[in-house]
Order: sequence, then C-alpha cells, then structure tokens
Amino acid sequence: MRDRHLKYVLVLPAILVVFATAVWPLFESLRLSFYFGKLSRPNFPQDFIGLENYTWAFLEEPAFWNSVWVTASYTFYTVVLTTLCALGLALLLAPGGKLRRGVQMLLIIPFAMSPALIGVSFRFMFNPEFGLFDAFFGFVFPPLADISWLSDPTLAFWVCIMADVWGWIPFLTLVLIGGLASIPRDTIEAAQVDGASGWRVLKDVTLPQLAPVLAVVIILKSIFSLKTFDQVYMLTNGGPGTATQTLSHYVYFNGLKYSNIGYSAAVAWLMVIPMIFLTYAYAKFVFRKREA
Amino acid sequence: MTEARMLSGRRKKQFWGSLHLVLILAAIFVMLIPIIWIAMAAFKTHVDVYQLKLQFTPTLENFKIVFDAPYFLGHKLMNSTIVAFVTVLFAIPIATCAAYSFSRFRLRGETMMLVMILATQFVPAVVIVLPFFVMFRDLGILDTRLGLILVNLAIVMPFAIWMIKGFIDGIPIDTEEAALVDGSTRIQVIRNIVLPMAAPGLVTAGIFCFIIAWNEFLFALILTSKDAVTLPIGLALFKAEEGDLWNLLAAAGIIIMVPMFVLALIIQKHFVQGMTMGAVR
Repeated sequence: MRDRHLKYVLVLPAILVVFATAVWPLFESLRLSFYFGKLSRPNFPQDFIGLENYTWAFLEEPAFWNSVWVTASYTFYTVVLTTLCALGLALLLAPGGKLRRGVQMLLIIPFAMSPALIGVSFRFMFNPEFGLFDAFFGFVFPPLADISWLSDPTLAFWVCIMADVWGWIPFLTLVLIGGLASIPRDTIEAAQVDGASGWRVLKDVTLPQLAPVLAVVIILKSIFSLKTFDQVYMLTNGGPGTATQTLSHYVYFNGLKYSNIGYSAAVAWLMVIPMIFLTYAYAKFVFRKREA
Repeated sequence: MTEARMLSGRRKKQFWGSLHLVLILAAIFVMLIPIIWIAMAAFKTHVDVYQLKLQFTPTLENFKIVFDAPYFLGHKLMNSTIVAFVTVLFAIPIATCAAYSFSRFRLRGETMMLVMILATQFVPAVVIVLPFFVMFRDLGILDTRLGLILVNLAIVMPFAIWMIKGFIDGIPIDTEEAALVDGSTRIQVIRNIVLPMAAPGLVTAGIFCFIIAWNEFLFALILTSKDAVTLPIGLALFKAEEGDLWNLLAAAGIIIMVPMFVLALIIQKHFVQGMTMGAVR
C-alpha cells in the first residue's frame, strides 16, 4: 500500500475508538439532556422536553447552585494551594544534591495512589476517636481535641481540600522541577553577580521564565479539580448534607441514585462548558511547543 | 569589620542551609505519613487499630480475612488485573499505529485530530458514563468486564497516543529512510526498525495506562455491581454497620497501592511526560 493511503489507515482504528468511547457519548449526553428520562421505565428516553432540564437546574434547584459553588471554591483553593506548595517544594529541591534524587523518587509514590484510596486514608486520619490528625491537633491545641472534623460542613470541606492538595503536590512538583531545570543557569547567575537578593532573583528572573510551565500546571490542575469525584465520594460522600457535593457527585447522585438521566445529562453538559475553554488554552500551549 | 561581616554571612548561609534541609525533610514526612499510617494499620489487629499505638505486634491476619468470605478480595483483584491488562492490550497497538502516522506523515486535519484526542482526556467522566450506562443496560453488559474494558479505553487512549508519539518523535528517521531506499515496504520498516526501537517506550506507555485503568473509579462504580467489581470499588465492602473496619480497609489499600508503586517506580522518568501529554518537557 502507498504511504498516501497507509497513513490514514494507520490512524483509523484510533480515531474510531476515540469516537466511540468519547465523542459519541459526549453528544449522546447532549441529546439525552433534552429529554425527560427516568431509567426505571422502559423505552428510554421518553419525552422530548427541550431546555426544561436546564431551566430546572437554573431556576428550581438550589442543590445545583450549591454544587456549582462547592466546585468553584474547591477548584480555586486546590489550584492555588497545590500550585504554591508545589512551587515551594520545587524551589527547595531545585539546587539538586543527594537528597533530590531520593525525594523525586518518593514523589512518584503518592501520585500512583488511587484517588479513592487517598479519600479513605484521609477519612481514617480524621476519625474523631482514633485518627492520627485528630490526635495531633488535639495535642497541639487541646480545645480542638473533641472536634469531629467530618461532621462539620466547613471543616469537612477543608479536609477534602487537604486530601486533594496532598495527592496533587507530587505531580505538580515534578513538573515544576523540570521547568526550573530548563531555565538557563547563566541568567540567574548574572543576576546574583549583580548583587540581587534571593527574593529579587526569584521574582524578576526565575518566575517570569517559569511562567509557561506554571500556566500549563494551573490549567491542568483546574481541569482535574473541576472533575473531582473519587476522593470526595470516599471521604465525605458529599456530606455532611451537601457541604462537599461537587458537580460530578451531584450528577452521579441525580443520574444513578434518582435515575433521572435526562436531568443529570444536562448538568453534566454544563460542566463541559468550562472544560472547552480550559482545553483550548491547554491545546495552545501544546501546539506552541510543537512549532517551536 | 569586614571579618565580622563575613562571619555573619557564613552563619547566615549555614542557617539557610539547615532550614532548607529541615523543610525538605518536613515535606517528605508530610508526603509519606498517610501512606505509612495505612501501611501500619494493615498489620495491626482489630484492637490495636483503634488505638494510636506506634508499637504493636504485626499480624498478617487482615490479609487472610479480606481474601476469605464474605469479602473475596481475590475476585476483585482478578477483575482489576484482567480489566487493566486487556485495556492496555487493545490500547497500545492501536495507539502505536496512530502515533507512528502522526509522527512521520503530514495528514489532512492532523492538528484537529490531535486536539480532539487531547480534548477527550478532559471530558468529565460523568458525561461519558451516562450514555454507556443506558447502552450497556439495553445490551445486557452492565456489570461485565467487557463493558468496563470498553469504557476504560476512553480514558487510556489519549495518554497512549500522545506518549507513544513522543517516543517515536525521538527516534531518528535516517535508518527508516535508508531501508525504504533499499526497497523495504513501509510495513516492513515499521515492524523491523521502528517497533524494536520504540519497544521500551511502548512498555512505558503500557505501564502508565495500566496504572490509570487500575485506579479508575467512577466507571467501575456506576457500571459494575457484583460480578465485575474492581479493587477500588471493593473498598466500600469494609463499611460495616458498626463503622468502618479500618484494619481490613488498610489491608485492601495495601493490595491496591503496592503493585502500582512498583510499576510507577519502574517508569518514574516518564511519568510527568505522560500526564502532561507533551505540554512540558
């Protein structure tokens, strides 16, 4: 076969798989979102209702707005905290040395851990009777000894954030270490010779050059934060009440627990919209690298 | 005066040096503590786990219990292994063909296809799973490994294609061209030159995809109920009436995470590359 045809034949199976497993369900979900569909009845979906699922979410469902708010603040805090912690750790490790190789190896480990298991382990550590963190905080600040972390709406939210930040710091740190390593040493050394303080070197030389990598990291982390499900499901299951109910969890709950597929497809599609912008931004970075 | 200043400068350096070390050690400690805590609980007895003991007599009893009735973790272990393995078995050859073509040829709509593949990675899993749930219910393949393998391809393929493309991009094109001039066909070139050279990369991509499929949670939660339940979903078994059975949860946790740690350490250098799909190097 000629290359002219072969090159398309080679791509075809992959494109078909991607179409069948991602593109088709994406648009099928969009179609379902215009229907009223109760899974419990046969001949699903039943009635075309236009935009009613969407208006229902916007106008009649405080729980929807609650999960929008939870997801937005969750994304904000996890992105900011994870990026800052990872940047700090990456700067600590940047000079290299014996420790760095070891630490880099250790950093791989939490990242290979299933997010569901991260949720379980944090629930374990914040158990009010025999949790490790609980005992630690109780020891440092005795008034905190009797707090049951996961039954308080605000504290449960922050425990979820801690678990998320813990799980993502290693990956972001590894990416940022790579970014720092690719900054030419001489620009930093030149600034140091000129007598710039450590802080000035960081602010005026290192960070501007790290900006593209930081942007990639922030976009990627935002995408994964917006999708959060596994950890929250295992850690608080959205509770107490709906205090930690992210959008993914809300969709899961409505679709599978109340078998309201049409409605949950509509909410799921509302989640796709911010993803489109983030993906566009991400793709720009990927292809800028390719052309360079 | 200058001497005193130099001395204080050296002190300052020493101070920052030790602070640096302390901070790194603190970070390591924070990173490892949840893992160590789980690992310790897995070897504690039912009584010890409810106390904050650092010293205890380790026992393997928990691992025995989780594999026995009524938990049968062995069955979930088998499901997880088969699902992840077969997913990789399908994904890697398909991805390799596509990656070779993207790497070596100019295709019409190439950028569009690559962006589409990249974008599928960012679609929330809940969006994908709803139509599959309806379809699988109608086809009667809910709660089967086959169904789970099909949807797992959705999350694994984009990583596989981008990662393998990165590896093939790194292979010099000269040998291939020489072989083509000598009269080899393109298929022969791929089989005899590209595949052997890309083999380590294919193994790396395979391991990476295996880890992702193994840790996958949402699809398995929604699409399985009894027969095809995988390990991460199996964790929910240990919620009992009287509260969570932490020592058993921890033992199951060890079984889920230790194999992945080993695999992740094998491919550690490429982990970041895989996750960012070429956006950073």
